[in-house]
Amino acid sequence: MSDLKLRVKEMIIERLKLEGMLPDQIDDGAPLFGDGLGLDSIDALELVLGIEQVFGVKIEDEAAGLKAFKSVQALTDFIAENAKA
Amino acid sequence: MTDIPAHLPHRYPFLLVDRVLERVPGVRVVAEKLVTNGEPYLQGHFQGRPLVPGVLLLEMLAQAAGFLEGDSLHGAAIFLAAVQDARFKGPAFPGDRLRLEVASEGAFAGLMKVKGTVRCDDRDLCTASLLVKRL
Repeated sequence: MSDLKLRVKEMIIERLKLEGMLPDQIDDGAPLFGDGLGLDSIDALELVLGIEQVFGVKIEDEAAGLKAFKSVQALTDFIAENAKA
Repeated sequence: MTDIPAHLPHRYPFLLVDRVLERVPGVRVVAEKLVTNGEPYLQGHFQGRPLVPGVLLLEMLAQAAGFLEGDSLHGAAIFLAAVQDARFKGPAFPGDRLRLEVASEGAFAGLMKVKGTVRCDDRDLCTASLLVKRL
């Protein structure tokens, strides 16, 4: 697992208080919302705030969110593309 | 001076903001609620020992958060979507002048996260994060 992907998973677990879940248990390709991790719109806002705080990357609108939240892999790619440093 | 009834649809006995002291829409609001002996809920909470219910401190923060919105909330559908990490650190009594401080932590897809504190003199009575949804 790439270092960034691991950090993304750790951020998801911490920010959403998915207690007892390990990074390995989150499927890279599974959707974050709906059938995958089963997150809702409140979780989406928490993730948007967490991504900004931890990685300095803003998710400006719902269109960007739709792309970034497709899966952990998509989110990792999104952060890698948009991170400044 | 902010016109409170023009902005919030809440009315007696459920309008829980008396004054808006500071207001930067989308960023931060400081409002005030003076707790009087006439508040209807104090008659039964509790008889002979009136104190403001903790959930109403959260409602005060939610109403103060309404002033983070630039436009009037009349006709708007705004809901409390979540309350997180609520802490009640001290009671509020009749006669207390409550300072309601709310600040936006960010927004996404119509949801805003707000950090709020109810203070009286220099004591924090309640702190909580509220998520407010505008439809």
